[in-house]
Amino acid sequence: MNTASIIRLSGVTKQFGKFRAVSNMTLEIEPGQVVGFVGANGAGKTTTISMLLGFLGTSQGEIELFGETILPSNAHMAHRQIGYAAGDMELPGQLTGAQYLAFLRHQRKSGSDEQYQALLKRFSPQLNKKISALSRGNKQKIALVAAFVGEPDLVVLDEPTSGLDPVMQDAFLDLVRGYKQSGKTIFMSSHYLQEVMDVCDRVILMSHGKVVEDVQTSQLLAMGGKHVSILTGYKATKPPKAAESIEVSEDRGVLRLEFVYKSDMAELQRWVAAVKQLHDIEISEYNLEEAFKSLYQTEETA
Amino acid sequence: MIGSVFAKTLYDKRYFTLGWTIALGAIAALMVAFYPAMHQDGSIDALVKSMPPAFQGLVGSLSDLTQFDTYIAAQLFDIRLPLIAGIMSIILGLGLSVSDEEKGELRTLLSLPISRSKLFIQRWLALLLILAITLVGLVAGMYAVMPFIEEADIDIDVLARLLGMTGLMMVTYGTIPFAVGIATGKRAAATAVSIAVIIGSFLLSTFASAVDWLKDYEPLSLLHYFPAVDIVRDGIQWSDVMVLGSITVVLLVLALVAFRRRDIA
Repeated sequence: MNTASIIRLSGVTKQFGKFRAVSNMTLEIEPGQVVGFVGANGAGKTTTISMLLGFLGTSQGEIELFGETILPSNAHMAHRQIGYAAGDMELPGQLTGAQYLAFLRHQRKSGSDEQYQALLKRFSPQLNKKISALSRGNKQKIALVAAFVGEPDLVVLDEPTSGLDPVMQDAFLDLVRGYKQSGKTIFMSSHYLQEVMDVCDRVILMSHGKVVEDVQTSQLLAMGGKHVSILTGYKATKPPKAAESIEVSEDRGVLRLEFVYKSDMAELQRWVAAVKQLHDIEISEYNLEEAFKSLYQTEETA
Repeated sequence: MIGSVFAKTLYDKRYFTLGWTIALGAIAALMVAFYPAMHQDGSIDALVKSMPPAFQGLVGSLSDLTQFDTYIAAQLFDIRLPLIAGIMSIILGLGLSVSDEEKGELRTLLSLPISRSKLFIQRWLALLLILAITLVGLVAGMYAVMPFIEEADIDIDVLARLLGMTGLMMVTYGTIPFAVGIATGKRAAATAVSIAVIIGSFLLSTFASAVDWLKDYEPLSLLHYFPAVDIVRDGIQWSDVMVLGSITVVLLVLALVAFRRRDIA
């Protein structure tokens, strides 16, 4: 194990009665990494983050943050260096945004006024209204300012952009890119795979409480390709050798052949030219969103 | 600036504190204002004497009506306050323990560098201060009316004793839902235990004087340790202080141990 890891989970399991939300999870995250944490609803992402922050204790295994074992009773020690925001986060409704951020800055006791002002300028949150009177998006802006204020060494984000408009989503992603440049660590769960691909160095896919993929973003980018769909009257048509995720169906004597193609494009062109009785053809980008959906589905059916 | 959980709790509960301070003040003022009627009108004596013994328990001892200090001890501190302030303490205890967790705000607070112990202690200290402020309202209500009422005068030592024990009783009442709520995170459990204690104590102490078989169980009532009229006459029994204080301390210790370990919803 790398002792320099900022986050380390060793055989972590979380059981709620008979339901095992996280099962024997082991992973390490080094300082300076921006890690995306993805998975379908109920995969165990939020439970993992809740254990990381000490809201939940582990049923088995050990969690270390900054080299210290984390328990519900001592998690606050690590929180001096951690910023946190969640899409469904409930901020203290009785306070105004300004009061909450002042309270938080007082607790965290770090960070410059310049950085705070820059965050306010970036997100333009409504600070003078009671938080309970704000829309979800406006609450989320305050939560994001709160997560990054004081420049914590680790920022943990649980679906941070849900509720944000596209402009604010861009502002957030821009902030993450800048934060990454400063060598800080971000651990971020998201359903928006494109944003994960945009800013993360590494992607961890979770399913049914287990890590099923842990890859560098560059490896995932290689998963891109073309989605090909043809309609042909020649029922003996075979897909090219490099085709993946092949689906074949037939309707009123017409064969529908769909597949993903990531190999040589000239080869694909030659294959298309050779298809007999071609009725229709559609070739589109096979983006990473689709690649992930197929991974989700593979895991769901497994 | 709101810089601590203690200050934030007081700020969050400002309207609650103001409302209950005014309410307790108004009740105290009314009770003082009724003194001449209770004191001078013989028909009330006759009415009370005609009641069954169990109902007399609800009204208080007639002999207590002759002096202002025993009148106020019996009618305000002994009969009404345990129920009214008890309900207030329970609402407050629940508000400071389970409400934040139900709303999801507890996680937000605990994501900051605030330890569970610190949050627990500062919340309970805020409970203490809020209850003290409401008692100030009670005293203010009494003193607002007393100058206008003939023979309405109470020795400051007697009042201090009554307030001290009332405060302790309210703290014990408030600590029960606070402790159960923060230890379990479950409103239903905290509410059920608290209501069982307050209503059970009230019924037990009220009817024990009339129902023979209940007398043996009367020490189980928290009100057994808050004999307001006896406090006026004989002073505070330190054994009563020990019982209420011990219940409070034991509950706090158990709740803190549980809260430091448990999962936060």
